[in-house]
Amino acid sequence: MKDFRLYDITDFVLDEDFIRWVYEKREEDEAFWDQWLQQHPGKHLVIAEARRILESLKTTQTAVPAPVVTHEVERLMQTIREQHEQPASITRTYKIGWYAAAVILVLLAVAGFSYKMFLPGASISPYSYAALTADRKLVEKKNNSDMPMHLTLPDGSSIELAPDSRIGYARNFDSAGTRDIYLSGEAFFSVTRMPNRPFRVFSNDIVTKVLGTSFNIRSFESDTTIQVIVRTGKVSVYTMADGSPATRTAANQPGEVILASNQRLVYAKAAQKFQKVLLDNPVMIVPAAADRNMVYEDAPLEKVFSTIAKAYDISIVYDNELLKHCTVTADLRNETFYRKLELVCRAIGATYEVIDGQVVVQASGCN
Amino acid sequence: MKEDLSQVESYWLQQLQCNNEQVLALLMKQYYTDLYNYAARLSPDESMIKDCIQEVFISLWQRRDSATAILSIRYYLLRAVKNKVLKALYYNNRKASPVHLQAAYNFSYEFSIEKLIIDQQVSEEKAAKLKRTLSQLSKRQQEVIYLKFYQHLDHEQIAELMGISRQSVYNLLHETIQKLRNLWHTEFVAR
Repeated sequence: MKDFRLYDITDFVLDEDFIRWVYEKREEDEAFWDQWLQQHPGKHLVIAEARRILESLKTTQTAVPAPVVTHEVERLMQTIREQHEQPASITRTYKIGWYAAAVILVLLAVAGFSYKMFLPGASISPYSYAALTADRKLVEKKNNSDMPMHLTLPDGSSIELAPDSRIGYARNFDSAGTRDIYLSGEAFFSVTRMPNRPFRVFSNDIVTKVLGTSFNIRSFESDTTIQVIVRTGKVSVYTMADGSPATRTAANQPGEVILASNQRLVYAKAAQKFQKVLLDNPVMIVPAAADRNMVYEDAPLEKVFSTIAKAYDISIVYDNELLKHCTVTADLRNETFYRKLELVCRAIGATYEVIDGQVVVQASGCN
Repeated sequence: MKEDLSQVESYWLQQLQCNNEQVLALLMKQYYTDLYNYAARLSPDESMIKDCIQEVFISLWQRRDSATAILSIRYYLLRAVKNKVLKALYYNNRKASPVHLQAAYNFSYEFSIEKLIIDQQVSEEKAAKLKRTLSQLSKRQQEVIYLKFYQHLDHEQIAELMGISRQSVYNLLHETIQKLRNLWHTEFVAR
């Protein structure tokens, strides 16, 4: 056990456990450090400084645009296919010795053979369940009943597997660096938080990566869409195929969509398009007790909106400047999300729309 | 502790051995941004970087029969890209003028102010200060924090990649954070 009392700022900044707390915000770490700080109140400044250093070092990555990556992947594939056809004549950007060329010739024969084994028939997508799990080392569970089936994974995560659906995961699921699940059909996941070991679900064309959360995926091979629904937390979803232009909508990173609580993502397989929509009946992500405080008398609009937005983890976008004099008197307890919005909007003479998973409020202002 | 090799990755390596091109494409797609960003810190020559990354994947493909010997795909690719880029720099420089490799090898911690502002909602002024602070670190210092805090390599991998001992990695990290703190202090507190 480490004795953090002896740590100075630099020690904290370099400590794996400390980094994990700052970067990944796990609940168990939060609890540990809260308690530790209570026991060592003199360390608050040291911790704050160490945190600040880590946070400022955190995000410096600029993603290479998806079309560039796609182009590079195509270039690679082309080179490799040329090698297959004419193994000895590729010298454009690199040198290849006779020895390597010979090896490739021999392997070609093997390639033709095993390719057929892994991809039986051209009609199957390269990302179908069968293709993704061609390896036989997976533990597989299939639900042949007509009731949802409850499963617990070795890491403690739980899955409600819908009828006619199946999942597969590796034997060493619990010791691998990432927790990977293959899904065909529909399932609801409650994932145990382990930010060092991302939880990924491969479902046909898309991959859903979990940042700690519960969510539902519906991906039957016969469906034309794949749907991901997030109840709590956040997930990121990206396509297995190279980021075609269509996948670049609505996301800050090309080819990747971040999905928050109460949002549903629909992926149209044919068009390769993502669309983000809000759930019909969003649920609160904060304890239900918060609902009891939602009684307002002449409360600033900003406060009301920010409380609702936080409770449901849904962004509410409005013109702060225009509406800064607006106040709300309303009892929003025991109302659904949309009813709450409606009541507030009525109070200030506004209307709202749901666009791309966000609520956009339009109004003319208050006096 | 930061073991990169998951079951799916060893599955991919097996598939590579079985001549599955799709997996090669998938790997490139998966790691492209990380590899590109790393290489971009070694050289500003974009087309050279892209060629180097191509070559790394081509040679991974050529050696696919021994792919399952790879312990960490991320580390393998980073190291291969670094070697390729340094070699390219060395040859280019030899053609132009006889410059030493170490001088050509100019690691810089590129810092996107815009991204920082969006991600962390810090003010433009503060972001500019952060950028200024990081640029005052030596190239080695910039590289070590990049490998630790951005690529999340463990100390052993950093040591191998930078060609120094584990103890030196530890010392370098300490010294870098210490310097960062001092610089920060002058930037933010003393003004």
